[in-house]
Amino acid sequence: MIKVSVNGEIKELPKGLNVSQLIEALNYKTKGFAVAINTTFVSIKSYEETIIKNGDTIDILAPVQGG
Amino acid sequence: MNNETWEIGGKTLKSRMLIGSALYPSPANMEEAIKESEAQIVTVALRRQSAGEGGGNNFWDIIKELNINVLPNTAGCHSAKEAITTAQMAREVFGTNWIKLEVIGDQYNLQPDPFETVKAAEILIKEGFEVFPYTTDDLVVAKRLANVGCKILMPWGSPIGSGQGLMNPSNLKAIRKQFPELKLIVDAGIGKPSDAVEAMQLGYDGILLNSAIALAQDPVKMAQAFKYATIAGRLGYEAGTMQKREFASPSTPTVGTPFWHQFS
Repeated sequence: MIKVSVNGEIKELPKGLNVSQLIEALNYKTKGFAVAINTTFVSIKSYEETIIKNGDTIDILAPVQGG
Repeated sequence: MNNETWEIGGKTLKSRMLIGSALYPSPANMEEAIKESEAQIVTVALRRQSAGEGGGNNFWDIIKELNINVLPNTAGCHSAKEAITTAQMAREVFGTNWIKLEVIGDQYNLQPDPFETVKAAEILIKEGFEVFPYTTDDLVVAKRLANVGCKILMPWGSPIGSGQGLMNPSNLKAIRKQFPELKLIVDAGIGKPSDAVEAMQLGYDGILLNSAIALAQDPVKMAQAFKYATIAGRLGYEAGTMQKREFASPSTPTVGTPFWHQFS
């Protein structure tokens, strides 16, 4: 298992997950979101090849109201 | 009514008002206010959401149904790096290369950080973004942003959410004079419809506001007020205002005035 931060919460996840598998493991249901790992954007086309590592800080952002 | 169109970021629009989507009493009120404003650009943001949360979905569904242009912001970013990442994420989520670039340099008055804003703007433009940079009314910062390729500048009227109106109209006027070819939007600080009129009379291409509408006692009615104020200010600018005079000058003809006091 590895420990990562997802939107500020510490989570334990199986080792070797890619971003698609992470989204599935988190049961992330909100449609329309984007992912950054360690403050670097990860595009949808890179989900499969991007492996989550121990200590990663993951941000999953979705649309909200803004000015 | 003014039916002329204008262009910004590759789009041809009728409305010169850009409206925010935050702080309304309810999502339904937001939707009605945006519709009433007839704005064709609405600002949105990205924030963390927990797994299973549906709030963002609901909001985004309402915005999509409005079928107007979306301008995502980088609100809350304090460095070029954070703003660039947020812009890249926004491009994927919202499907637009438009970005309202906000890099905050001071938490007290939410003043933009000019150094980080210019740095981020340069990189984002190279990455194909249409950057709408939120900046102060500083002419030199405006020059730097123009030098790195910004076609749009959004100087503040006064600090975000303050409703203080235009603190430095002469600075805004100087930016307009120096950059006739750029699209200029007064962003932030507009509090009342007369502020919108003033900004538009300076020759600005548009205004961007949120709190002034969302925090009004009747946001829908205020959206309508700003719609007309924006049009009135633009028409006033296009029509050209008269020169001020030191003394009174009668508007009614004096020739033929009855009871003329010839000897007084």
